[in-house]
Amino acid sequence: MSATGESSTQLALRDPEIRLMLRVREDDAGAFEELVELYQQRLVALMHHLVGNAEEAEDLAQEVFLRVYRSRKKYRPRSKFSTWLFTIANNLALNALRSRQRKPTLSLPAQDSGPLGPRPAEQLVPDRGSGPMRRLERQELTERIRQALEGLNERQRMAVVLNKFEDLNYAEIAEVMGLTTKAVKSLLSRARENLRAALSSYIYMDGEHAREGSER
Amino acid sequence: MSEPAPLSDQERADLVAYLDGELTGEAARAMEAKLSLDPATRAEADALRRTWELLDFLPQPQPSLRFTHRTLERLGPLRADEQQRRQRWRMRCFGLGWVAALLVSAWVGYAGYNWLVPREPGERELLQDLRILENKRLYERIETLDFWRALDAPDLFGDETSTS
Repeated sequence: MSATGESSTQLALRDPEIRLMLRVREDDAGAFEELVELYQQRLVALMHHLVGNAEEAEDLAQEVFLRVYRSRKKYRPRSKFSTWLFTIANNLALNALRSRQRKPTLSLPAQDSGPLGPRPAEQLVPDRGSGPMRRLERQELTERIRQALEGLNERQRMAVVLNKFEDLNYAEIAEVMGLTTKAVKSLLSRARENLRAALSSYIYMDGEHAREGSER
Repeated sequence: MSEPAPLSDQERADLVAYLDGELTGEAARAMEAKLSLDPATRAEADALRRTWELLDFLPQPQPSLRFTHRTLERLGPLRADEQQRRQRWRMRCFGLGWVAALLVSAWVGYAGYNWLVPREPGERELLQDLRILENKRLYERIETLDFWRALDAPDLFGDETSTS
């Protein structure tokens, strides 16, 4: 039974992704490819936010899919499929980050996605301003935000990425990370406080200072 | 005017949970009241919200065009390995099946032989029936059971010749 008290059959009937995974479990030709197509963008983005390197992010995302394939026979639909997938991703990413800490590597800036330079999608980042100065400011801002995210410890980073980019609620993050909801609440609070400290000079960049703050 | 006290860890955690829509019921109402009454908490909430929105500036990385293809390519050796393992398992089952069949047929053969071919009595069984064997010739001359019972009657030979 899931946390919400639903039986696995009810879950499978309601969640098309679970149905797809059940087809993968039954060795349905094409189901696995469908699964990769469906989740590749989210997994690569998740890994990229976590490890900060495009090549490594792709390798890790691929490894997640291979693990899904390897453990398909053991798959039982107990909760949302994405929760199960992100649990695998969480374990892999944390392992990768820990082993990187043991043997530090030089990480490339986010824009240097490979030998051919930035990918088209990276070039398509919405440019709200115009002119080289504005673009430079924006690039600097993006870099500072990336650094602030990398400055968080691995668990805080994972919680932030799951909450911000995957829209997972505290209970789902707790399930993915094997923590209590209370621990996630505290983890996210500390993470947001750390981010705020790291990005304090960029919060009111547009000149609009917090009126409330000045009332202090 | 004195400086407002900074938020405690618990208060900040509640504020963040409120901003994330995770605070409900009484706790949410209490936080709303605090926000409307306390400018410092309001400023803190605003800063945390703006920080969170800054993350939207991060580019959304896309997988390479050949991502699916490369992933499926890596599946090839995995599938071959699985097939090999299945084959090995099948062979093992086949071997075990043969061993089991041999054991069953050996047991059936042994049981059948014992059932069909009567066994020679052992020394112990012979000793148990010694008195009967010794008097076999006499017993053979008794034609009916009633006659044999009549021989056992005490008034015929007295107690000495009891057949039992």
